[in-house]
Amino acid sequence: MQPDPYAPMPAAIVDVFAETPNIKTFRLRPEAPVPFRAGQFVELSVPGLGEAPFTPSSAPSVADTMEITIMRVGLVTERLHALKPGAVVGVRGPLGKPYPLEAMRGREVLVVGGGVGLAPLRALLFALFEDVTAYRKIILRYGARTPSDLVYRGALDDLWGMADAVDAMLTVDRRDDGWTGHEGVVTTILEPGRLTCDARNGVAVVCGPPIMMKFTTVKLLDLGYAPDRIYLSMEKNMSCGIGKCGHCRLGAYYACQDGPVFTFDKVQGLSRIWD
Amino acid sequence: MLKLDKGRLGDFLQTLCRGRAVYALEQDGDQYHLVRAEAWDPERHVLGAYRPVEPLKSLVFPPRERVGAPAALAEAEGAAESIVVGAKNCDVSALRIHDFVLRETAPADPYYALAREKTLIVSCDCTDAREVCFCPAVGEQPYVKEGSDINLAATPEGILVEALSRRGADLLRRAAPGLPPADEALAAARDAQRARVGELVRERAASRGLKRDADLRKAVRGTEEHGLWDEFAEDCVECGACNLACCTCHCFLLADGRDADGRPARLRQWDSCLYLNFARVAGGANPRRRRAARLYNRFDKKFNFFPEVLGRYACDGCGRCAEACTGRIDIRDVLKRALDAA
Ligand SMILES: Cc1cc2nc3c(=O)[nH]c(=O)nc-3n(C[C@H](O)[C@H](O)[C@H](O)COP(=O)(O)OP(=O)(O)OC[C@H]3O[C@@H](n4cnc5c(N)ncnc54)[C@H](O)[C@@H]3O)c2cc1C
Ligand code: SF4
Ligand code: SF4
Ligand code: FES
Repeated sequence: MQPDPYAPMPAAIVDVFAETPNIKTFRLRPEAPVPFRAGQFVELSVPGLGEAPFTPSSAPSVADTMEITIMRVGLVTERLHALKPGAVVGVRGPLGKPYPLEAMRGREVLVVGGGVGLAPLRALLFALFEDVTAYRKIILRYGARTPSDLVYRGALDDLWGMADAVDAMLTVDRRDDGWTGHEGVVTTILEPGRLTCDARNGVAVVCGPPIMMKFTTVKLLDLGYAPDRIYLSMEKNMSCGIGKCGHCRLGAYYACQDGPVFTFDKVQGLSRIWD
Repeated sequence: MLKLDKGRLGDFLQTLCRGRAVYALEQDGDQYHLVRAEAWDPERHVLGAYRPVEPLKSLVFPPRERVGAPAALAEAEGAAESIVVGAKNCDVSALRIHDFVLRETAPADPYYALAREKTLIVSCDCTDAREVCFCPAVGEQPYVKEGSDINLAATPEGILVEALSRRGADLLRRAAPGLPPADEALAAARDAQRARVGELVRERAASRGLKRDADLRKAVRGTEEHGLWDEFAEDCVECGACNLACCTCHCFLLADGRDADGRPARLRQWDSCLYLNFARVAGGANPRRRRAARLYNRFDKKFNFFPEVLGRYACDGCGRCAEACTGRIDIRDVLKRALDAA
């Protein structure tokens, strides 16, 4: 029988971690390993209900399980959030193109995340950590609406044991009682004084809500990053994930095949890219 | 090139179709319908003067199909071989789009690939054209040059039979071994008829402002911000009929649900880019919230995206969308306005 690219592979949920009031991380064990590279995504389905695209957030080097960090926003994610360890979901993938680690080697990598957008970036950070000396410097700037909206909160202090290797700074739009860190939207921690970067030679990787990506991109261009060194995750409506259903078209590209990560120069001429 | 006497057409097609599920044209007033039958029936079935109401794509890319499960794939693998008789060039040419998207772009869609392998296409020259036909404006002509297995040209001098693929040639050898070669008179009659119908449909398109060499890509690309899309979109009721009637539209949705026994089932079903939520993402963001943006997107995909990725328009001039549109939006008028405005 020929391979069926529409057929999901059964995957058992082995663990569920609550990250925030509306974000959970699911550890899955697919029937057979789904080896992915940082930045690639999968289509995750609740059998009989629906399917949606997500980017694994775990270390790509671990192949037999994968973690996916999911915000509850609608039909499929609502049902996913109700699932407990032992439940079986479906996985298709890996899909799309990974972050081009080769293009980052020898350079400074600035990683900017907003909200649940840190999920795919965590997989990237894990990949960078594996060969940490290959990059001139790793900088992380991460923001969320409130302290309780920060994902991986327990790991943000020691950055999964790699705090020494990363210049990290966090921010929240609105502080609460316990928060002693910075307050302000994420672009405010990209200001001189809070960020020392090598914009001329470095690369920047951004993932977050559209509005955050828009203002972050403007800021990065201001700082002097070249459009072809700003990597953006374009969230488009997707169905097939394999360049056939037409849903995710972005100009001459399909986000599912040519992306989901695009350098800014590829998309800057297109209309309404942030909508 | 072989010659078939008119009086033997029925026998010829019955033999050709034997052992396969048959799809043929039935006349209904000035229209034809694509129908399924057990055998070729000379009393009911005709070659047809022009394309039928239903697009040919529906035979190899059905409106809804079970996918994504071993049982579904086994069913596709076990499906009967079929043959379609009377396909016209617009429909045959349109399959280039589906071939490219579903079969040549990896990973291949095995359901489509199987259906294509199992479906023999017998095309025939148009002997007339519908009022809405405009194939010359998109660089096509009312007869098949390639893409079908066997082509028939029905002329007053008889029928010129031509194999256009290896399997078409094999079938002809087996099913109609005695056909004589086409004589010069028949070849001349075919050429004259092609010239006549070609001229007819060229004039029809030109009378609507669509000349053969018009640069439709430039016209569409140059008018994204022009008010013409708002004007036409005012009449659109978002029914999606244009997408469903279209011979090239390939967009679909993977819809998950349950079968009659309550087991999870996944359908690949035609979708419409004119629907409000086609591009909406979770949280409500929608790059094409405005109807005008969605109408523009349809033309951008056909006349800009496909030239970019495949070197041809995703429109073959069949005019079905103009006939199907609830809002009476005529693609010829839209293209003409874009040409004038660009
Ligand atoms: C490449 C990529 C990676 C992503 N990674 C992550 C991630 O790591 N974490 C995360 O939290 N989010 C991620 N997202 C966003 C995530 O895919 C959406 O939040 C998810 O699709 C929401 O699905 P839902 O059914 O819960 O929401 P809904 O709002 O119910 O549906 C979302 C969209 O899907 C379509 N849709 C859903 N069901 C149907 C249906 N039955 N019929 C027609 N259309 C339907 C609709 O067009 C709707 O706009 C990613 C998105 C992309 C494109
Ligand atoms: S569009 Fe051209 S090929 Fe199609 S039916 Fe009309 S005349 Fe024939
Ligand atoms: S057929 Fe006409 S009314 Fe219906 S969606 Fe298409 S353009 Fe709109
Ligand atoms: S999601 Fe189907 S083409 Fe990209």
